[in-house]
Amino acid sequence: MTFSEFTLRVCYHHDDETHAHTHTHTHPHTHDGVEHTHEHTHTHTHEGGDHTHTHEGDHGAHDHSHDCAHECGACAGCDPMQETLALMQYMVNHNAAHARELAELAKKLGELGNHTAEEQVLAAVSEFEKGNLRLSAVLASLK
Amino acid sequence: MCLSTVYKDSVKPENIAMQNVMRIECDGDMVILTDLLERQVAIHGTLVMANLVEGQAIVHELAE
Repeated sequence: MTFSEFTLRVCYHHDDETHAHTHTHTHPHTHDGVEHTHEHTHTHTHEGGDHTHTHEGDHGAHDHSHDCAHECGACAGCDPMQETLALMQYMVNHNAAHARELAELAKKLGELGNHTAEEQVLAAVSEFEKGNLRLSAVLASLK
Repeated sequence: MCLSTVYKDSVKPENIAMQNVMRIECDGDMVILTDLLERQVAIHGTLVMANLVEGQAIVHELAE
């Protein structure tokens, strides 16, 4: 993808010494349904004296992924927040399922006669569920 | 149990066909991927490998 912008820089110098300029600027743009910016820095040198210079923003093609969940040509636009919330909800539900499975494992340990391990796994499940509760609260606040 | 990343031909970041895949369906010579948000991608090809523990699957895309 190429894009162009003009940036006007007016530089005033009162001597004829060769000097260098460094310009840093950003180009906000949207593609793949995501708006973002890139910072570019250009350094160039030239003879002194007052001068005005422009540069076309011909920064060449850039290709990068916004980590979309699919080939972005297939959708009108990705909503990163929607996707993040969906992932978090999935994680919370998934963690709850894991907690239940671990509790079942603890029960099996108890049935196999290892009650110490059973207690420790149940304690781990409790901590796990506390963490998941925090995630659940964050998710609720984001919705 | 977990979501998967589906790759085309080999497990490399540049070969990702879809992330957060929750369902892979094979219908003839089409592989249909569905992600967590119910978005779908159909690939003309075959399912080569699915590692459910690592959450990775490879699809070989057939030439048109």
